[in-house]
Amino acid sequence: MTDQNDNWEPKIIAFLCNWCSYAGADLAGVSRFQYPPNIRIVRVPCSGRVSENMIMSTLKSGADGILVSGCHPGDCHYISGNYFARRRFALLSNLLDFVGIEPGRVNFSWVSASEGEQFASVVQSVTEKVRALGPASRLVKKLDAAQAA
Amino acid sequence: MKVLKITPAELDALMQQWQKQYVVFVPASGKSAAVSPDCAPGWKRMEAGSAPLFLPVGPTPASVKAFYFPQPETLLTYTLDNNHPDKALMRESLKPEAMQVVVGVRPCDAGSVALNNLPYSEDPHFQANRRRTALVGFTCDTMLSTCFCRQMGGSPMAQEGLDLALSRTEDSFLVTVVNEKGASLLAGLDLTVAGEAELSALAVRRQEMAASDSAQLATLKAAELGRLYDAPQWQALGDSCINCGACTFICPTCYCFDIQDEVVWGQGRRIRYWDSCMFPLYSLHTSGHNPRGKKVQRTRNRFLHKLKYFPDRFGPFSCVGCGRCVQDCPVNIDIREVMNDLTNDLTNLTALE
Amino acid sequence: MTTVNEKIGEEIRVQARKMLAEGAVVAVIGYGVGSLPMTARPMVARRPEDCDKLIWSSFCVLNLANYLPEVLKSVEPPHGPRDPKPPEDSLPRVAVLATGCWSRNIVVQIQEHQVARTRVVVMGVGSRGMVSRRKVESLFPGKEILRVEEGDHDLVIHGADFTETINRWSVVRDNCQTCTHPDPVLVDVRIGDPVSERKNPKPFKQVEEIERLSVDDRWAWFTTEFSTCIRCYACRNACPLCYCPTCFVDDDKPQWVGKSLDTVDTGLFHLLRAYHCAGRCTDCGTCETVCPMGINMRMLTKKLNKDVLNLYGLEAGMQPDAPLPLTTYTLDDPQKFIVTEAPSAKEGE
Ligand code: SF4
Ligand code: SF4
Ligand code: SF4
Repeated sequence: MTDQNDNWEPKIIAFLCNWCSYAGADLAGVSRFQYPPNIRIVRVPCSGRVSENMIMSTLKSGADGILVSGCHPGDCHYISGNYFARRRFALLSNLLDFVGIEPGRVNFSWVSASEGEQFASVVQSVTEKVRALGPASRLVKKLDAAQAA
Repeated sequence: MKVLKITPAELDALMQQWQKQYVVFVPASGKSAAVSPDCAPGWKRMEAGSAPLFLPVGPTPASVKAFYFPQPETLLTYTLDNNHPDKALMRESLKPEAMQVVVGVRPCDAGSVALNNLPYSEDPHFQANRRRTALVGFTCDTMLSTCFCRQMGGSPMAQEGLDLALSRTEDSFLVTVVNEKGASLLAGLDLTVAGEAELSALAVRRQEMAASDSAQLATLKAAELGRLYDAPQWQALGDSCINCGACTFICPTCYCFDIQDEVVWGQGRRIRYWDSCMFPLYSLHTSGHNPRGKKVQRTRNRFLHKLKYFPDRFGPFSCVGCGRCVQDCPVNIDIREVMNDLTNDLTNLTALE
Repeated sequence: MTTVNEKIGEEIRVQARKMLAEGAVVAVIGYGVGSLPMTARPMVARRPEDCDKLIWSSFCVLNLANYLPEVLKSVEPPHGPRDPKPPEDSLPRVAVLATGCWSRNIVVQIQEHQVARTRVVVMGVGSRGMVSRRKVESLFPGKEILRVEEGDHDLVIHGADFTETINRWSVVRDNCQTCTHPDPVLVDVRIGDPVSERKNPKPFKQVEEIERLSVDDRWAWFTTEFSTCIRCYACRNACPLCYCPTCFVDDDKPQWVGKSLDTVDTGLFHLLRAYHCAGRCTDCGTCETVCPMGINMRMLTKKLNKDVLNLYGLEAGMQPDAPLPLTTYTLDDPQKFIVTEAPSAKEGE
């Protein structure tokens, strides 16, 4: 559980597209670019695969931050997946902001397979933002003591 | 039954007293800030020094169902922690012991508890909630045009199902102590006993407002409602109905549920939560077959359940005539009209024979 | 004196009867009288004589497009799931009443292939704004309204011990007051006269008020607003956009949304429901009107409508030949929300 204490480290779930951002993360690793160890990667075929349901239930499950990253516009392996994703994410991030989810909890980026350094710096900046926000509580499902074993 | 007198000021003081001893709920006006796990929408937990009771004319915004049959109710809890010796062992969820007192209950709602108790007579959760809940009710001075408790065998002056029943007099209330639980709520209180005149006035009002001797109910009950299974009016109802759960969820006497497990970080619970026979999922089989796959079948089921299946099995109709569904149905389906139509049809059928 | 709505009602009866009698359609989706003051009951007329029951009033608050796909299906000759579907033009047709927003919803249904254009006869009615029963009731706290007479500009409210005249426009629903397209956009049979645009509708006023709050206040607004939801799904079922055979809330593997009434579960339900309406919602207000708990979930869809208009210049149902906003893209869609923190960052936008 993510409790507020001195040792708290943000847990960030990263949905990375197989063709660009995942490869970018890989490159960051082999090139030994340092980035914070706070992200847990979920490899997806395309940023267009990441649905609002997945993002919201990740929040519900208690992720302190979310990063969705795909190929740069124009570079999608499936030609247009990230263009559709871009529209969806634009609306979703505005809606989340509208209901008071702190800006910085849910993040989107484009990172290509050759941008290992870019990947490291995106993770760096997202981690910093989430750390500043503290542990997530909004839209995080908790079973209180009476309900849990 | 003992009948006492209490002034509004004394009642306020008494409620403040209860608030210290018990968990007290009162009808909420407007939105309650947040729903705590043990509170129901439409009700709010009374706080120290809070404003006097707000009691709308007619039924309270939400029925008392949620205190007996919470939405949702935790049945079992478990852990999926690999290091825990009791991993995956289901434990019965413990009910809070503290007595909860619901103040502001109307006679129709009080009657609904007894009805729901029929199918739930052996349900440990419902029974535990019944033991720990006390109902402090107010008989109705005015009926709304949508109230039809009298046609359903109830009465705006009824006390059945309540623990304390308050009836307004000119400047104070007469408190009927219906049972032991009610008496315990007044323990240590020194209230005057109602006088002869007041008692007889109360008796007169109760007499005037007694359940109407409804020929309609007799017809519905005596005849075979099943013969109207294919009556044309179901089609018209099904045409209007949008199959939402508004009627079932606001209804004090609808009691169906579904069950699901929820696991959060390795801690799990099994909950039951309200379900509605209006939803297609309600009757969907694993095979994919749905015996009530059509909207009209589902609409019909709700009414036939209340007017035929339930009475066939348990005796009384499963409706107390609170009129909530009449008021809040998004498409204005009116159970009073449904009953009228069915009664007329039955009468015509019998006349034809 | 007959009111505008009474005249419209008469025209509806005449036209509906004619179409049914001639066999041009096999069903007409309209409104009948309600059993309570300030209600009207959606109904389907299938025989010419049913048409006598059709009415029109300021209380026709539920979007009739909601019924269209289902009624169309119900009048098809029975065929098994694997049988070839008979050609559209051989199938019976259905007429439906439609105001501005309802007609836009029908356009969306056509775009989404839920409804075949050739099978629908749209009876277009300009909407003068529907009255919110809740607004009227809130003017008479603690009193029961027993009868309401409708004039063109006034409502006469009768209770057991009072009679009062109120201005009709003052109790028209918020979404109707701020409506930008009151006249139907798709008309086969015109009923009544076209209505003029609202003066200065300020469509996004309420949304902007919420946007101006701080992030914490917005969260407080959100959690309070939805705290009383009982998950009856009236808002979902009344909406003409919701026709999925299995709704995401009913999925249990995976369980996207919990079933309890806790803030997280109801919050997620409402966010996702609204989001699924993005680019499709016409702000007809039905969801808000039908909620038995009086929750203003329409603010969420309204916010999405605003963004879709600002970002992509689209309004649901107004561009029948264009793809829906989330089923298309342009190469230079705005992407301010993208994190670009790197030294090597490419050109942002
Ligand atoms: S069916 Fe309607 S009138 Fe009867 S108890 Fe339920 S909500 Fe009340
Ligand atoms: S979301 Fe609400 S306002 Fe929008 S189309 Fe559906 S019912 Fe109408
Ligand atoms: S209609 Fe109202 S109470 Fe019912 S699910 Fe929608 S918001 Fe909740």
